[in-house]
Order: sequence, then C-alpha cells, then structure tokens
Amino acid sequence: MKRLQPRFEVSVLCGMSVKIEFVSQRVLSKKGEEDKLNFILNSVKKDKILVLEEPLSGEEEAKLIEKTMGAVSKDFPGIEVCTLGKVANDVRGVVIKILGGRSSGLTVVGPSNLVKQIKRDPHKLQLLAGK
Amino acid sequence: MPFHRILAWISSIFGKRKRFSLGLYGNVNVGKSTLANRISRDWTGEEMSKISEVPHETRTVVRKERVIVKVKDRELDMNLLDMPGIATKVDYREFVQYGLSQDEAQQRAKEATKGIVEAIKWLEHVEAALVVMDSAHDPYTQVNLTILGNLEARGIPVVIVANKIDLKKSRVDRIKEAFPQHSVVGLSAKTGENMKKLYEAIAAKV
Repeated sequence: MKRLQPRFEVSVLCGMSVKIEFVSQRVLSKKGEEDKLNFILNSVKKDKILVLEEPLSGEEEAKLIEKTMGAVSKDFPGIEVCTLGKVANDVRGVVIKILGGRSSGLTVVGPSNLVKQIKRDPHKLQLLAGK
Repeated sequence: MPFHRILAWISSIFGKRKRFSLGLYGNVNVGKSTLANRISRDWTGEEMSKISEVPHETRTVVRKERVIVKVKDRELDMNLLDMPGIATKVDYREFVQYGLSQDEAQQRAKEATKGIVEAIKWLEHVEAALVVMDSAHDPYTQVNLTILGNLEARGIPVVIVANKIDLKKSRVDRIKEAFPQHSVVGLSAKTGENMKKLYEAIAAKV
C-alpha cells in the first residue's frame, strides 16, 4: 500500500527573501530536549524558518511555547508552529527508533513577524511568509 | 483503565465525594472566562473572571474553589480554574489597536506571556479539563492540538466545549470531525444554551 507522505508548500509575498532551513532527523536526534528547543528558538530569532524532519511531540511543543514566551520582546513577538504527524511514544515508536527508522511527519516553525499563516490539512502544510 | 478512573470508580462505590480541579483551556478569546462565569454563577451565584474584547484579559489563573455541581443523583465538587488563553505569539501592537497606550500595551504583553507560561505549567496539575474552542472558527489549530496532546499524554479526562453556538457561523460538526476521539459539547456560554449537557459530560468523565 502506498503511504502518503506529508507535503510542504511555501508561498512568499513578492519582493522579499526568506531563509528556510531543513533540519534532518539525524541532527535533531543528537540533541537533548533542552538543546533541541534552544537550537530551534535561536534559529527562529534569526528570522529562519525551520522544517524539522522529526516532528516535535506535544510536550516539546508546550515547552517550546514556554521558552518562546520568555523570549518575547518588542522585536520578537513569538512564533508560528505547525506539526503534521506525531512522534509515536508507544512501544512501536520506540522499536522503530531503535531500528533506525523514522517517524512520518514534520514540524514547521518560524518567527510570527515573518510567517503570516500556516494552513494545514491532514497531509499538507501551506505556509505564507511575508513582512 | 487509567488510574484516575479507577480511583473515581472506587470513590463512587463508597459514596465519597472527591474534590477535583477542572481547568478551562484554549486559545485566546474563545470564551473561557465567559464559560467560567456561567458555571460559577449557575452554582455559586457569583462570577469569577473579568471579561473583555481585548485579547489576554485573563493573565493569571483565576480560581473559584468548591463549586458544587449537581448532575442527576451526583454532586461534583470542583475547584474551577480559568486559565489564561494559550498562544504562540504576543504582539503588544495588537493591544494598541484596541486603544491602549504603548506603555499599557507593553505591560499587558509582558503579563500575557507570564500567564501563558503559568497555564502550561498547570497542565501537569489539573485533574480534568475543558478545552474550549470557538465553533465559528477552524478548530484545527496548533494550540488546540498541543493542549489536547499534553492532556492525553497525562491521561487527564477532557471534554471539548464547542462554544459560541449562538453565532451564525458556528459549526460544531467541524470540531467533532477534527477530534472524533473526544466528547464534544456544543453550547453558548453567553446565552447558557446546552449547559446541562456540559455538566452531564463532565460527570461522565470524572
């Protein structure tokens, strides 16, 4: 059976450039949770849009929001984040990880003053970026 | 069967009434405080939260202790917790558009960010939750998914409230389709329509 892979589309308002960084699962899996969230937030604060090959878990998303709130300022109002698919934390998910497999899904995160809107349906993320 | 359900079952057998904390979670401006006031007024005669059109009016957790709700032959003894709305961004400029001065807007933004952190920390401590959504808007937001994901991971009983059914654009079916694994109650906290159904849904969960 053919498995549907999440699709990711970006629309950029004319007259501007956007930096999008794809972060592989290998890079993320080497980092602990704290390091991973700091890496995400620091990148986003530099006006980068990150596409994470491994989706954030619900707990990681909540912690990312907490960290973001601590970093909100006049120049950095926060983030837009969207996850398709989830990391399975059950036995199946753990076995897949041990065997070197990857979970299906992705997380997109960017600064809210750059990412205007993220639309989703079950298999597609659409991101509108612009100042 | 999750541990809290076993406990609830045992206490129901021995006729004990266990007090539990019920947190109201959701995005900003979905009507959490209006609902908290409605529940509080129904059973204590008093309101508990301030309401405003300006986003992030609730910036600290507002508590109302010992709200006793009668559902058929049961009494639910709860501490009601009206949580600040959760958001991924807080832009002070938005408050300026509502007529606040620059200083007031920046102060409000600062308090709002603290309130969001407080609401997230409370996810570990509530014993049941109402996740409130505006039924006139797309329910499939990251904030809703994050709140539900965290409550599910902790095994906390959840009822989704599809609020604002008094609005023409209200679509409770869209919320039911998005979250088929949860109990969804369509109601209007503003008019009080379907509140009885909500109390029954809470009683079925705790």
